[in-house]
Amino acid sequence: MTQPVLAIENLSVDYEVGAGVFHAVSDISLTIPPGRVVGIVGETGCGKSTLAQAIPRLLPEPPARIRRGKVIFQGTDLVKVPRSKLPMVRGTGIGMIFQEPLNSLNPAFRIFDQIAEAIQIRHWREEGILPSFRPGPQPFDYSRRPTPMPTAAEVLSKPVVPGAAKEAVAKRQVRTRADFRREVLEYLRLVRINDPETILNLYPHELSGGMRQRIMIAMALSGKPALLIADEPTSALDVTIQAQVLTLMKELIDEVHASILYISHDLGVVAETADDLGVMYAGRLVELGPVAEIFESPRHPYTKSLLRSIPTRYKSDWPMPTIPGSVPNLSQLPKGCRFHPRCSLARPICAQEPAPPLRVVGVTPGYDTPHRAACHFAEEVAALP
Amino acid sequence: MASATVSRARVAAPRPSSAWVTSVRRPVVGFYRVMRANPLTFAGFVLVTITLVLAVIVIVDPSLVVPYQATQNTGVYKEPPTLFKWPPSIAHPFGTDQAGLDIYSAVVRALPLDLGIGIGIAGFALVAGGALGLIAGFWDEPRTLGGAVSTIILRTTDIFLAFPSLVLALAIVASIGRGIWAAVLAIMITWWPYYVRLVRGEVLAVKHLPYVTAARAAGVRDTRILTRHVLRNVLEPVVVYFTLDIGTVLVTFSTISFIGAGIPWPGPSPEWGSMMSFYQGRFLLSQYWWYITFPAIAIFMTALSFSLLGDGLRDVLDPRTRRALAESSAFHEPPQEEPPSAAIPPSTPAEEEQREAQAT
Repeated sequence: MTQPVLAIENLSVDYEVGAGVFHAVSDISLTIPPGRVVGIVGETGCGKSTLAQAIPRLLPEPPARIRRGKVIFQGTDLVKVPRSKLPMVRGTGIGMIFQEPLNSLNPAFRIFDQIAEAIQIRHWREEGILPSFRPGPQPFDYSRRPTPMPTAAEVLSKPVVPGAAKEAVAKRQVRTRADFRREVLEYLRLVRINDPETILNLYPHELSGGMRQRIMIAMALSGKPALLIADEPTSALDVTIQAQVLTLMKELIDEVHASILYISHDLGVVAETADDLGVMYAGRLVELGPVAEIFESPRHPYTKSLLRSIPTRYKSDWPMPTIPGSVPNLSQLPKGCRFHPRCSLARPICAQEPAPPLRVVGVTPGYDTPHRAACHFAEEVAALP
Repeated sequence: MASATVSRARVAAPRPSSAWVTSVRRPVVGFYRVMRANPLTFAGFVLVTITLVLAVIVIVDPSLVVPYQATQNTGVYKEPPTLFKWPPSIAHPFGTDQAGLDIYSAVVRALPLDLGIGIGIAGFALVAGGALGLIAGFWDEPRTLGGAVSTIILRTTDIFLAFPSLVLALAIVASIGRGIWAAVLAIMITWWPYYVRLVRGEVLAVKHLPYVTAARAAGVRDTRILTRHVLRNVLEPVVVYFTLDIGTVLVTFSTISFIGAGIPWPGPSPEWGSMMSFYQGRFLLSQYWWYITFPAIAIFMTALSFSLLGDGLRDVLDPRTRRALAESSAFHEPPQEEPPSAAIPPSTPAEEEQREAQAT
């Protein structure tokens, strides 16, 4: 068993605000093996984004507070890392794609400057100019990307001096703007931007939402992170652009072979991208397992109801199946299992005792992630309508 | 097969490289267009340029623009005494005073000093107050070292803001003593707190925006986020305020001089406020209107030109309005060259047949 890129153990995050303490994330345990895409789905306000931002410790603390738990990234517990050292982990260690592409690019800088900054940080860390978090084996693998054929001009202009000797000289030189430009262009092409030379000199407000999200993805990738966290990268985009960005993400997942935590509220999106899937409800992970397994035989009543309420294309299905009741307030959680007021399987024990921790309910042969659910009656879920 | 090669060639085809030309030309052209799009800004820009050039000339060689020494009694020895207190004429455009001083010479000679005071004091307030405001706004979490520093800065600012700045400046001048440096120091001490407040407010608004979080997520350190990402987005309103403030400083300094605490006049270094102060106390405004009018107009024009420029500077600093203004103006860059027609993949015979069929 290889060491996981990220292991979250019993992570709990609270928001302490005037109205009370909100338990945004409670007792979440999750591992991301190298090269695996782990999806997290859940309703709005179930703590998905809090979880995403708590991993690289991007949450403003206060009001947020990591109450307990560990976030072990490549063997280091990030919760214990002093805040002044956290920038070393970000960018090159953990990269992030945010859900608001419209506001996530600095409006005052050209696209080139934004991506070049991320690239420069990586170079400085690689060369030891900036202190860097000790990374494990690089899970980024560009070898599977088809290399473009050299053009005639490139072949003709190749130097007579052997490449290695030239590189040795070049290594001592300061990188010029042209070097950065070349590298930025490479990343822009990686995210399928047509005419990258023009895009370079534009400001973010001159680009569409889909383009900006591509730039964000390019920025995140240009740090060559060991772990990429995509926090609803397609949510703020309209459906057509969503499909394009999703296609890009899927292609990139194959190309860069990265470990990705993919957060979404859209089951369809996660089904297409993720290998493993976690389902969150009211700050807790209620089910975790291989995607196909969860979609075919959900073992938590919430997952089951959630899958049932995906709209189909037939009008005759009206009214759409819904889950009765509403999401509990995170500051006044119901006693016992958090889902029991809305659960059709609920028994007295569900209201009295907290839900059990995730337990194994099924194993896919040949796959190292077991199917786990946090329900007393996981075996009975299959019988539900 | 053929079309694939062609399309790759199009992607990799080098553009006509004139990178350095565009990098120099683009901001210049953009600036020019913004100026064209907004005539008032253009007027402010022209006025400020004239003022600055004039100030430099006065410093280098006053005799180029000014016929007389500041304290030279122009008429005493050359003209009959009746020519004292002359109204504006061709020989003395702004008239002469009771001692025969050429007011035009005095007003123009005062330009470098007044301009230096205005830009210097406002600049000091911008740098000092701005830096404190950045710190106070960016590291303001309670129960941390930054939070403590921030609290100290803000409470100190509050103490200064509790007094009207003019009254405080006068009090300082009264305690240090008369003179140019006392007046400058007094205004400097009272001027920076406004910038702390302004910059802090802007930083607070900017620092939780998604792009700052995104920069943080990219591994950028706090100090660099502050000096690059936050500062650049805060700059715009602050610089505008700064240009508007130059005029305000000038007026305040003139007020202090006017009250009589600044630079003595008549004296070796003329200053607009002190000139007005001296003349208004001793001579009838209705009879000798030119004594006080021209120094006042000089103050007004300087303040106005910087204000006009400041208004337009906001548009220049914001990439969004800059581009919009540049494109709204009548001037456009020549259209970009179309890619060569070879880039269009040759159609297959089947397609051509279809097209012909449609045509007929």
